[in-house]
Amino acid sequence: MKRPPFWRNIRVIRAALQIVAVAVVVGAFLYLGNNLRNELVAKGLPTDFSFLSQPTGVNIADSDFDPASPVWRALLVGIKNTFLLVIVGIPFLTILGTLIGVARLSTNWLVAKAAMVYVETLRNIPPLLIILFVFNAVILQLPPPRDPSTPLDWFVISNLKITGPGFAASSGAGALLAIALFAVLAAVIVGIWRTKYSETTGHHSHRVLWSLGVFVAIVLVGYFLTGRPVSMSFPDLDGRVITGGFGGLGSYFAVLIALVMYTASHVAEIVRGSIQAVPKGQTEAANAIALSGFQRLRYVILPQAFRIALPPIINQYLNFAKNTSLAIAIGFTEITLITFQAIGNGYPAPQLILLLMGAYLLFSLTISLLVNILNRRLQLVGN
Amino acid sequence: MKKNLFSNWYNSLLTVVFGAFILWVVYSLVKYLIGVDTEIIRVNLRLYMTGRFPSEQLARLWGAIYVATATVALFARATVRNAQMKATEAGLDFERSHWTDVVRRFWPIGALILFTLSFTQTITPTLLTLVAAAIGLAAYWLGGMMPKWLIHRSWIIVVAGLVGFYAVLVGFGGVGWDLWQGFFVNIVITVAGISLAFPLGLMLALGRRSTLPAVRVLSVTYIEFLRGVPMITLLLMGAFALGFLIPGDFQFSLFLRLLIAITLFQSAYIAEVVRGGLQSVPKGQIEAAQSVGLSPWKTMRLVVLPQALRNVIPAMVGQFISLFKDTTLVFIVGLLDLLRAVQISTAQPEFFAQGLEAVVLPFAALYFWVGSFVMSRESRRLEKKLGVGVR
Amino acid sequence: MQEETPLKRLAILLLALGLVLAACDSGSDDTTTTAAAAGGDETTTTAAAAAGGSMLQTVQDRGTLNCGVNDAVPGFGYTDADGNFSGFDVDYCRAVAAAVLGDANAVTFRPLTAQQRFTALQSGEIDVLIRNTTFTSSRDGREGATFLTTTFYDGQGMMVYAEDGITSIDDMANLSVCVLSGTTTELNLAARFGDTPYTPLTFDANDQLQAAFVAGQCDGWTSDKSQLAGVRSNFPESEGGPEALVILDETFSKEPLGPVVTDGDTQWAQVVNWVVLATITAEEWDLTSANVASYDGDDAGIRRFLGLEIQTDEGATTFDPGLGLPTDFATQVISQVGNYGEIFDRNVGPDTALGLSRGVNALWTDGGLLYSPPYR
Repeated sequence: MKRPPFWRNIRVIRAALQIVAVAVVVGAFLYLGNNLRNELVAKGLPTDFSFLSQPTGVNIADSDFDPASPVWRALLVGIKNTFLLVIVGIPFLTILGTLIGVARLSTNWLVAKAAMVYVETLRNIPPLLIILFVFNAVILQLPPPRDPSTPLDWFVISNLKITGPGFAASSGAGALLAIALFAVLAAVIVGIWRTKYSETTGHHSHRVLWSLGVFVAIVLVGYFLTGRPVSMSFPDLDGRVITGGFGGLGSYFAVLIALVMYTASHVAEIVRGSIQAVPKGQTEAANAIALSGFQRLRYVILPQAFRIALPPIINQYLNFAKNTSLAIAIGFTEITLITFQAIGNGYPAPQLILLLMGAYLLFSLTISLLVNILNRRLQLVGN
Repeated sequence: MKKNLFSNWYNSLLTVVFGAFILWVVYSLVKYLIGVDTEIIRVNLRLYMTGRFPSEQLARLWGAIYVATATVALFARATVRNAQMKATEAGLDFERSHWTDVVRRFWPIGALILFTLSFTQTITPTLLTLVAAAIGLAAYWLGGMMPKWLIHRSWIIVVAGLVGFYAVLVGFGGVGWDLWQGFFVNIVITVAGISLAFPLGLMLALGRRSTLPAVRVLSVTYIEFLRGVPMITLLLMGAFALGFLIPGDFQFSLFLRLLIAITLFQSAYIAEVVRGGLQSVPKGQIEAAQSVGLSPWKTMRLVVLPQALRNVIPAMVGQFISLFKDTTLVFIVGLLDLLRAVQISTAQPEFFAQGLEAVVLPFAALYFWVGSFVMSRESRRLEKKLGVGVR
Repeated sequence: MQEETPLKRLAILLLALGLVLAACDSGSDDTTTTAAAAGGDETTTTAAAAAGGSMLQTVQDRGTLNCGVNDAVPGFGYTDADGNFSGFDVDYCRAVAAAVLGDANAVTFRPLTAQQRFTALQSGEIDVLIRNTTFTSSRDGREGATFLTTTFYDGQGMMVYAEDGITSIDDMANLSVCVLSGTTTELNLAARFGDTPYTPLTFDANDQLQAAFVAGQCDGWTSDKSQLAGVRSNFPESEGGPEALVILDETFSKEPLGPVVTDGDTQWAQVVNWVVLATITAEEWDLTSANVASYDGDDAGIRRFLGLEIQTDEGATTFDPGLGLPTDFATQVISQVGNYGEIFDRNVGPDTALGLSRGVNALWTDGGLLYSPPYR
């Protein structure tokens, strides 16, 4: 068969198209990058990342940040604050969202309707609005720091900072931590042993109780052996200084509460949809073997629903992480606000914004990776 | 259903607890609403709706609204007549929807308009709104006289409407788009963002499925990059960095730069939604189309895309709603949208330190809520009509 | 189509980042020559040979001036509910427009946040920035900006609640202070407190900051004293009125506020500079918006200044200093906007809500710092 002329040869056309596409994109990048460089130079602004080692010049709330520290240190503080929002928010929003999603399907008309109102209200309002509302109408309504409320003497509550009881570690805490890790290992081993036991003998494994019991026993023994290195620390108010305890800025809680409530409303819809997507036959079969409503939910419906729900829920986690950037509106010093501050104080914007995007990409990728591992383990074989 | 409220002790307990909670919420709400002072809204209503639009040019804004109303009415009529003609051609019965159906679909918007008008200080806006309604009805009636060729190409109406809208606002020394502010700018950015991001997202989704590896890699990179960063960072980039990418003195206006950033951002999400849709079309459809001799492009256009898009209507509309809500983020670059306008108003000398945030924030929330709610209801109606998930 | 694993995604993203970084660092390295050409200070006498760009030409061709201002600071840059801008800085924008375009209303005001203002200037979005911006060396050097004659000598102060009994910054250990992010105020605050612990609360705009201050979340609010005076004068009676707030005497930094233009356009910088100086010169000569248009005296100095004809031995001439402006630009500025005193009194003077006295913002002949070079 004669080969078609090269301008009609499909392989040539394909190769040519790709070369053109790549050339256009790379060319555009080089052109824009060059413009960027020239404009920066013409205005006397730096074009590299050396500004990162210059002193920041400002303090950062609720941290020991020293104004003489370099800019990259400040950015790290921002990342730490964003991390604190994400790591606390994700578990809470998952729990809240699941509860509300299940409530939406409750047979109790009042509960179902209340859940529906919650979801339909919060889902349709911009998250920024919710943050502003929680900050202004809730957090700022707390007593001012000059006159905080101290219920039970265990808490110090002001609109600046909310502190509660926490843990204080003294020497020996490191050893206790090692013992705790060992205890986890032991608990896992015990759990596996009990499962095997139940498989061979058919008796109840009670593996949760056994594992927990082993863990608690080892930790308690270790606690006393290491000389009780961890104790409760209560916040102590001395004029304006609060020592001890564990707390966070008022703006932190505003962002946390607002975004948890907002994202939970989306998760509730996903959970509801995934429960409804479990084939009806499953419910009927569970009823046929006389499982109670709660048992049906726990052993049949939820595990299957969870598998369906996980990919969209990953998305909601990512959205939560990205929405923390809205904290800039109420002055919580997460990474976006710190970048914004740096730009305002004269550091070059294009480089800083690039770093900011990189930071969020890191968060997105980490969350994606971690939850995808879970997702892969849950996938049905052969799917 | 109601008998489940007390069917067993568990339910009874839940009902009592929840009932008490709900009553408390409702009571506090009512008490609050009765005592609330809406003076701040009355004084600042124009700021909320249109920002700093020059007051002497407001006639242009109303003119643009009339153009938009007429366009929507004409387009609606054209669509109805189109469906009617197609039905008669195919020999089927055509069910004309009653005007009460329209009311039922859009009553929240009507209610919101009435609610807004209740805060105006003169009778003029109410009269002008009635004129808009009259123009809408007249346009709908006139649509009955449209020639057939126009009905088949109803997109011409939309394009003409857009051009007219822009011309009335900006033409002949009008108001440039940097002064389009308030709730008006939220709506404009949403509409413009959707119209621009949708084709771009479509192309990206197709690019992601391309057999050319270079094109696929480029599409994937773009999509994953833009989906991994918050929209605020893109807006910051648009405000701070985009100006450096253009050589010389040529300047995009801030509004345009924001629109570019929002479009790029949303297109990545729309691409993902479309990708889900494309994956949901059974392979057999493509094979069948090939066996009939359709070219790849025709297959995509006539067989795959219609099914793909129909299948992802909920996710797509969800993305549009998300865009609508994200228009509030333009505050960060100084653009005055509804949310920022209400914030500024609480800092005015006459109104500050009076706790009025608790009044104006729910007020602003109402507008976003109605918009999103109507959009999601329309999406469900469209799903039902097109049989999503059933066929 | 196979699913991209997260690892593949990571690879793709790293590729993308690498591309972008490469683009950033690409381009040849003749930075020295470009920088020299852009920032050189060639003395020119004709408009055509202006160093760098020709902003003056651009503005005149465009027919409007893009002026970066504030929109939330009473007295300096403020919008009312109708969207009308007013204020001290706003009036100077109008003065520049009157000089360059002959029409004080040919201004497009662009309200900017504190963080955006320099980028907007650098990227050319605005022609001039008149937005209570402090002149500092790092801004002059690092931000690619050129500062012009100071229009308002201000200082940074701290406002606290009277009930707290604070008399100086040293009493404020462990308290919280509200400040706008991206301002010299922030840097000065950190410098002033030094090792004393305190909690800074940084906001991106004044509205939220104000709400936080009123709620007591911060015990102090630091900003330019003129801004603090404005807020204090408007403090509602329900919260105690202006007497509930105290602005501490200590001025912990110099805040000379003035217009800013971008580096690299000497002619434009000179134009804006002389508009400011014209208002000061006019006050020195007691020329006001009321009497400037009808001046018919013989003082050669004043006639030169106003671009009126001077009779010399060679005939009638009008003086053109070669700035590129019309010879009667001063008349336009003074008649349409006013001299320095009028601008001050109208916006921040003793009869306004701010109620500021001239203080150091008086003419040098009255013991202040305003002094304009001779117009000849």
